[in-house]
Amino acid sequence: MSRDLSVMMFSWEYPPRIIGGISPHIYYLSKSLARNGVKVYVITCDFPGAPAHEVVDGVEVYRIDSYKNPAPDFATWVYLMNVNMQKEAATIMRSLGGRIDIFHAHDWLVATAGIGLKHVFRKPFFATVHSTEIGRRNGIHSDYERMIHETEAWLTYEAWKVVCCSDYMVQHIKWAFGLPTDKLMMIPNGVNIEAYKKNEKEDLARFRKKYALPEEKIVLFVGRLVYEKGVHVLVNAAPKVLEKTNAKFIIVGNGYMKDQLLNIVNSTGLAHKVMFTGFVDDDTLRKLQRCADVSVVPSLFEPFGIVALEAMAARSPVVVSDTGGLSEIINHDVDGVKVYTGNPDSLAWGITRVLTNEQYANTIRTNAYQKILEKYNWERIGQQTKNLYENVLAEHSKSFWAQKAQ
Amino acid sequence: MQAIILSWEYPPRIVGQLSDYVKTLATQLVKNQTKTYVITYHDYLAGEYDEPEGVKTIRVTNPVRTHIGVLTWVLTLNQEVERAAANVYYSTDKQVDIIDVQDWHFTPAAVTLKKALGIPFIYSIESLEEHRSRGANSAFNMAIKSIEWLGMYEAERLLVKSDWMRNETIRIYKVPPEKVKIVPFQPSSMAKEVLENYRDVLEEDR
Repeated sequence: MSRDLSVMMFSWEYPPRIIGGISPHIYYLSKSLARNGVKVYVITCDFPGAPAHEVVDGVEVYRIDSYKNPAPDFATWVYLMNVNMQKEAATIMRSLGGRIDIFHAHDWLVATAGIGLKHVFRKPFFATVHSTEIGRRNGIHSDYERMIHETEAWLTYEAWKVVCCSDYMVQHIKWAFGLPTDKLMMIPNGVNIEAYKKNEKEDLARFRKKYALPEEKIVLFVGRLVYEKGVHVLVNAAPKVLEKTNAKFIIVGNGYMKDQLLNIVNSTGLAHKVMFTGFVDDDTLRKLQRCADVSVVPSLFEPFGIVALEAMAARSPVVVSDTGGLSEIINHDVDGVKVYTGNPDSLAWGITRVLTNEQYANTIRTNAYQKILEKYNWERIGQQTKNLYENVLAEHSKSFWAQKAQ
Repeated sequence: MQAIILSWEYPPRIVGQLSDYVKTLATQLVKNQTKTYVITYHDYLAGEYDEPEGVKTIRVTNPVRTHIGVLTWVLTLNQEVERAAANVYYSTDKQVDIIDVQDWHFTPAAVTLKKALGIPFIYSIESLEEHRSRGANSAFNMAIKSIEWLGMYEAERLLVKSDWMRNETIRIYKVPPEKVKIVPFQPSSMAKEVLENYRDVLEEDR
């Protein structure tokens, strides 16, 4: 191929529009693809103050008018927004003389725009499924949910390859939509290690004093204070940990369970040992992660578990519950500790194991950091994605569509 | 001349008057040496079908089986309409001259096909949401009106069936009057008038 490989990516969020995890995912993935020599066009929803077109580190970003009349409900808004997105993407594609090799949609939120364009331009189509309706809702309970579920199924049906960020999601999607194995591809999510490398040498002793006494080990939890994140399991494990060692539990985040958690802490007389910080800014969060003697991810349900990767990038030893995406990120006793899901005794055992054996903690911390560099590195993820594009383009070149176009 | 008509109803699926009109128009266009494709919806007769009168019919169905209303149903069906139209386009060496979209349902597809493949389209108006919903302005009605508006904005020309409808279209949607042409429903003669409009659009498009 004489010119660069090019891809048009569809996403309903891209910075500064940040709603969930797709926005940073597209940001880092597109940047990394650009560095790997892929021309990327991101088509996304508009955001107040953000330009309709800009170039971000070599990535062409187009923000479309995302249907601003009142919509009857969220799903109908999504389909209406897709009408505009498809129209604008078709215009851009035609202005480029059709010279884009691949369409790539992220989640059902941009399914209809991508599917139509695939057929109109006859290009190979990729879908990344970050989450599913049946997973988010723990089942399908209404026509509204089934409509979204069927739109997701249609998206995966139309895609040449379906990308998931964990083996757990691959299995989940196989089950949810009955997809053949060879259609699915696992490419992990990444973590931006540069953000942690910055100020690595900075002395955090003074910062640490704001959160814990020098003789107290820091046990850190980061996440929404909701049931599925299992923070109550950690609070229940706290007294058992304190029987063995002196520690301070720092809980970052907010959520509907906060009052309930405070009640448990107060009634067990541990108010001086458990600190709730609420939301903190990125800088404070990274410093906390670097100070933490152990980072705990006690989730009951976790499709990926990016918070574990962040802790690993900050060189904090991690203890995770053996579930979902966390199960595959951590190799027990090698780069972290896995404990039984929803079991405070097991969690207390895992935390104590790290806090009472410095040599062990250093080993898993070092191995975990190495794993981040090798496996969850955006540079590598961009390369893997590019390879996948190239393989599919080679298959596509033998297809009826490609031959007809010549 | 090769034309594609997009219509959400076509015999044997009859919802209102539009079905009969489209059937008559397509048959008459064929008699007037126009290669005519009709892309329409049917729940289970999906696929291609050559009618005895020479109209090539392609029926598509909705891959999303469960819906909460006509709006979501229409917005997911449009992708299948695009797929069928693209198949006609590529299988006839890109020789599609014009698309004639009947009412609002498939105007999103017509707009994408215009932007993507450069095929001009005419929007034929059978009825308007303003009248169907008696001026209701809920988010649901507004969404349908916005789709009608998009179609009117992007179309090269609007065809209506009466003087009254022409005035209403201009009044409600502020369409430039010269964009709206009247072709009354007269089975014997209307195809010639519609064809004249097709030719005018192609002339202007060049």
